Amino acid sequence: MCGVGGIFYKTETHSQKTGEIAYRILDGIYRRGPDSTGVTLWHANDGNQLYVGVNCDNPSDGARVLERLDELGSIRQATDGKGYIRAVIDYLGAEADLVAAIEALDPSISVASVGRHLEVLKHMGGVANLDAQFDLKAYDGRLAMGLTRYATESGIDFTNGQPLTARANSDLAIMHNGHITNYHHLRSSYALKGYEFTTQNDSEVIPIMLIDEMSNGASFEDALNISIEKLDGCFTYIAVTNDCFALVKDSYAAKPAVVAETDELVALSSDPQSLREGVLADMEVWEPGAGEVHIWKM
Amino acid sequence: MENVETLAIDCSDKATREVNNLIRKAADDGVKQVEILNTQARHNIGVGILKPIHLIYRGHVGYYTVGLCDNVTAEIHGTAGWGVGDNLLAGEVVVHGNAASSAAPSLRGGRVIVKGDSGPRSGVYLKSGDVIIGGNAGYMSGFMMQNGRLVICGNAAKGLGDSMYQGQIWLGGEADEIGSGVEQVDPEDGELDAILTLLEQHKMKAPKAFKKLQSDRSLWNFNKHDFAAWKDAL
Repeated sequence: MCGVGGIFYKTETHSQKTGEIAYRILDGIYRRGPDSTGVTLWHANDGNQLYVGVNCDNPSDGARVLERLDELGSIRQATDGKGYIRAVIDYLGAEADLVAAIEALDPSISVASVGRHLEVLKHMGGVANLDAQFDLKAYDGRLAMGLTRYATESGIDFTNGQPLTARANSDLAIMHNGHITNYHHLRSSYALKGYEFTTQNDSEVIPIMLIDEMSNGASFEDALNISIEKLDGCFTYIAVTNDCFALVKDSYAAKPAVVAETDELVALSSDPQSLREGVLADMEVWEPGAGEVHIWKM
Repeated sequence: MENVETLAIDCSDKATREVNNLIRKAADDGVKQVEILNTQARHNIGVGILKPIHLIYRGHVGYYTVGLCDNVTAEIHGTAGWGVGDNLLAGEVVVHGNAASSAAPSLRGGRVIVKGDSGPRSGVYLKSGDVIIGGNAGYMSGFMMQNGRLVICGNAAKGLGDSMYQGQIWLGGEADEIGSGVEQVDPEDGELDAILTLLEQHKMKAPKAFKKLQSDRSLWNFNKHDFAAWKDAL
């Protein structure tokens, strides 16, 4: 089933903490996806820092990952989330080298995201676990979009959890509710083109497809529209980049999602109840239609 | 409780089953109407009520509101989630805001009225009764409808009435695309007046004109020479 949802503030100043709102929205869709919870956070980033997320499904590997990160750059802030490492580091080298150096530690260790603006956090179970490890409620930036996962295609672990990013450009994260039925075919064709997959999750093909289309000259909006044509199955997904975010629905509108927009904010969720309880009890919510792409600029 | 005219139920401190049992008991006791407070877009509130009663929802409701009911009338002062009025046998549900996907699925009788816009598959499998939408209707509205009337005052998205068997669709605005097996026909005497009277009764603004759509019966029987139509039909 899975649930997707989150909050975007149109300005820097806002009445309630972004992390607290995102917490409540994700808590409201917990039952749609009790296996794991993940969020994408947006940071302004005016320096050289990278937001690094590392899957290490063997929690005892955390110390090694942190040690390696410290050798590669200088760690500003890091949390060992017992299965997932979150770190903010100053790093001047190539991102690919950083990824390779971390993944050389152990085959079970993989880099979930390396972002200049986007940070990905994941944890098993509900958002309460995520918050306990990474203090989601303290986040007060402009965007927090997340997913509660009900695993179908791949294992229930950190590596296969969402949000998912593409290796070629980590400032693109997706959160997908649904299933992609032609992903084996798509995955092998992208693998032949040289794209690297790090999970067994069917949703991973989405960010890679978007990156591939954009590298062929498509705009972000075009790429999202192309994905509706090329992906087979049911899907509602949220895509976040360094300067915008989008909600995309398949041509059958088979997966739910409602939107509420005010002068101050845009809130999304699979379930209207989570918006009513999480954001504001009395907002007008509407449901995007089949095959629609909605984009909001940061 | 026989003499109670209006019973108020506050959902905030009750489980869904408790709320539904209270409504059922009120209907058994002959209470005329129930005011449901603090709905907070919760799902399945007012489901399986089989005795006459009037429900007033003060707020937004979630999925399957007034589902599997008979002889129930309801007014929803807010937006409704998926499947409002699911399989209603008789009665009337009025949504004063928007409705999400599959409004009034498999309606068997009575009337479901959405004053705002309605999401995809409004009136899906409509079997009898009326579904009236004041605003626009989403993708595949009236899909596989078998009887009854689907009235859309605004515009409709793609696939309007796709694979419908029987029944009528009345469209005030434009459809992005008419579904497979649907044709526009001239209304018969009195049909349009009946629709306009219905709208007037519910203080809804009628569009300037209505188009009447119905099944062209091309999908009633399989014809291998007309494979293209079947390929397009879902």
